Amino acid sequence: MPMMNIKMKGFIIFLVSLLVFTVGCATQAPTQVKGIFIEGTSGGDAETLNWILAADASSFSYMGHTLNSLATYDNQWNIVLRHLAKPVEVSEDGLTYTITIRDDLRWSDGTKVTAEDYVYTLKNLMFSDWLNYPYKTDWQEMVNGETVFVEPEVVNETTFIIKRKTVDPEFADNAIYSLTPYPKYIAMKYEGDVKAFTEAEEFNNLTYTGNLGPYRFKEWVRNDKYVVERNPDFYLSQETGAPYFEQYITKLLGTSAAVLAALEAGDIHYTGIEPEQVAKFKQMEGIKVYTVPTRSYDLIIYNLRENGWEGLNSKKVRQALSMSISKQAVIDSIRLGFGDPAFSFIPKPSPWYTEEGVTKFGFGSLYDKDKAKQMLYDAGYGIKKPDGTIVVQDEDGKPIKLTLATTTGGEIAEDIAFLVKQELADIGIEVDIKLVPWPTLLRQYVMNKVPGTDQEPRYNNDPDAVSEQPWDMILMVFGTHPIAPSGSRVFFATDGGLNYWGYSNPRVDELFIKVRSREALDKEVRKEIYGEISRIIADDQPVIFLTFPRGNHGFQANVEGIDVGMRLGWNYHEWYFAQP
Amino acid sequence: MKRGGLQGYIIKRLIYAALITFGVVTITFILLRVGPSSPADKYLANMSARTQDPAQVIAAVEARYGLDKPIYEQYVDYVVNLARGDWGWSFSTSLPVIKLIQRHWVYSFQLILLSMLFSASLGILIGVYSAIKQYTKTDYLATFFSFIGISIPNFWLGIMLILVFSVQLGWFKTYYDTGLPLFSLANLKALILPVITLGTGMMAGYTRYARSATLDNLRKDFVRTARAKGLPERVVIGKHVFRNAILPIITIIMFDLSGVVFGGAYLTEIIFGIPGLGRISFNAIFAGDYPVVVTITLIGALVVLFTNLATDIVYTWLDPRIRYD
Repeated sequence: MPMMNIKMKGFIIFLVSLLVFTVGCATQAPTQVKGIFIEGTSGGDAETLNWILAADASSFSYMGHTLNSLATYDNQWNIVLRHLAKPVEVSEDGLTYTITIRDDLRWSDGTKVTAEDYVYTLKNLMFSDWLNYPYKTDWQEMVNGETVFVEPEVVNETTFIIKRKTVDPEFADNAIYSLTPYPKYIAMKYEGDVKAFTEAEEFNNLTYTGNLGPYRFKEWVRNDKYVVERNPDFYLSQETGAPYFEQYITKLLGTSAAVLAALEAGDIHYTGIEPEQVAKFKQMEGIKVYTVPTRSYDLIIYNLRENGWEGLNSKKVRQALSMSISKQAVIDSIRLGFGDPAFSFIPKPSPWYTEEGVTKFGFGSLYDKDKAKQMLYDAGYGIKKPDGTIVVQDEDGKPIKLTLATTTGGEIAEDIAFLVKQELADIGIEVDIKLVPWPTLLRQYVMNKVPGTDQEPRYNNDPDAVSEQPWDMILMVFGTHPIAPSGSRVFFATDGGLNYWGYSNPRVDELFIKVRSREALDKEVRKEIYGEISRIIADDQPVIFLTFPRGNHGFQANVEGIDVGMRLGWNYHEWYFAQP
Repeated sequence: MKRGGLQGYIIKRLIYAALITFGVVTITFILLRVGPSSPADKYLANMSARTQDPAQVIAAVEARYGLDKPIYEQYVDYVVNLARGDWGWSFSTSLPVIKLIQRHWVYSFQLILLSMLFSASLGILIGVYSAIKQYTKTDYLATFFSFIGISIPNFWLGIMLILVFSVQLGWFKTYYDTGLPLFSLANLKALILPVITLGTGMMAGYTRYARSATLDNLRKDFVRTARAKGLPERVVIGKHVFRNAILPIITIIMFDLSGVVFGGAYLTEIIFGIPGLGRISFNAIFAGDYPVVVTITLIGALVVLFTNLATDIVYTWLDPRIRYD
């Protein structure tokens, strides 16, 4: 027996050791630091690493490798703390935000990142007149008809507060979470001198970023590649050991064909994939393709100003036109199934999304061309033949001819424009498609001014203002913030800075004010407000919300740790190469 | 040729070059700055995503780079700085223009140089051989392939080469790697596909020109005389025919150089991800980054002016009958 016991014990010890070894391998092996990760893109290069001067997405993306913000979101839009030590505290009256940063954040020279750096960045750089920070408005509010900045104030080494005079329940989402600091001790040297600040070596080569991001700047060859290397001091390293790549390279290739060839050949590890290529890549053993929702949407905008077709000022006419254009056809035949129908500016993954009471023109039973013709006839734009068929025509008895403008070079935009032309031709409306370069579209179709005045053209001048070129519809893509969609007031409020088509509904204006008020601090109330805005705009149909496209992302199969969702990449510092 | 005659001619050409350079700078600047677009336009796409007031953003960006000043003031500032050797700040790449050019010219230069060498040497060789073997199978084959070479668009050829030799066979990387040492076999290997892409069309053209020029000369009396004198065919072709045939081809090669710098090289750079001047200037045009565009246009103009001048001087060496006085 004792002999057996010894043998049994030995066997058990062997099993336990094996288990421990196996578990050890399973937990350690995948997170081994190794390899160079290459992301391929055919998009544009960044403009600057001096982020306060940047306005293009690539610049923020490059800078983000080395410099985290206060917080980010995961795929479920939960807040994930980064430089924040704890969630932002909001006072009961919704006017004071208390921000506490981690105490282990360091600049490259080893000195501590303090609340003073954040407050300095806000007050002396972002709010300054000399630097012309393009996104000042994120930090401004209207008080008694006057635009003023919020008031940041240092409390102690790791805590600062921001005081507002008006309530904005989405202030943290729209501004605070994305805040990153400049080192006060360096920035002070350049204060007041925009040229020196713009050309400062420290900011253009990110030499100050210390342990503030998962990677450190290594090299940037313009129009070729951006290289960052693993930051062993990364403040989250102690907890996770991440990041697991020795380098992360963003490689710029001129065409999407070249990028896809590089993915197929294994020369890059990750890139976006066009819808028509998805099936091909899904069949490849060495590639994984993830399809995720996106936060932009395409839409057709009706011109409600004087130089648009007068019929567009009738809600019934707009509804009829929208009813003739199938969102599903756009998804199926143009986006090849990679899209979701859009009914408002709020995407489905947003907590504020609702379909309750939202009229779905152009979808399901409300995609009905016969009904559309009947509605146009009822509105005075058609005649009935003796056999009962309706011929759509203008009030003068002439055929209706509308202009649809969009930008050149976008294959999907052009395809949608031609689909719209075909759909409206079915109800007897001719569409003239104008494909124009982006600057021309902005200057000649979008910007407007009152004719005969020396008014400076803007995107939304007086109600009487019109664009240089007449148009009836414009096809565009807009972005939205799923967690803080109140920013879309610039599109849909009467005085919205980007409401260039002249939409006006006093109730919508009122609701956009209400959504940034004290009562909207209650999330249920806010959801109700967004629901009502969605319902009114869907009924008014100043625009046709077409689709929220889905993005396709192709990875080499050995890349692991990816959390698939709308915020794909939120945890990218935890991606790793699986062991063979 | 008299020495003073050539010197006077060179001085005259240099004065013309200075005037042309000034004209190029002025016209390029005006075209970029009075066009409908603003360098701030590119901010608008991102702006709509961040739901900002566009007028404020545009004003901020324009003020930062001095684009809110009157155009003439911007022009005078720019030209004065240029004359002082300050080529300006590239606001689309956040680098001084001089540094940008210093870092990137070599990628274009090596591509263009190797492509010119590849296309000119092979094209002339095949063309001359084809002419000597006129109406033989070799001639027909050379003619057939040169027509194919002329007809194939650069971008299509480049993508096909990538798909076959990089994706299918795995012989080459799908893109050019700037991390390779400049003077290394690996770099030379990385340039094989781009050079074939850029050089094939030119090579085909040179084949046709060389064939035609050689045929012209083969029928000349001096060739008949040389043969009658009993000179070996190698000497007749090499010394008498080739030397006369090469003259118009050099003109064409030099003329092509400007076309290659501003046309073909750009497409090849795009396809293979080479960050050369073509790609830099193309992106700068769309970004409205006029300091970069003007400088690269200026460099291109100077290359054309000085290669033309060099061609004229080489003429006098190749053909002593040519005089400039």
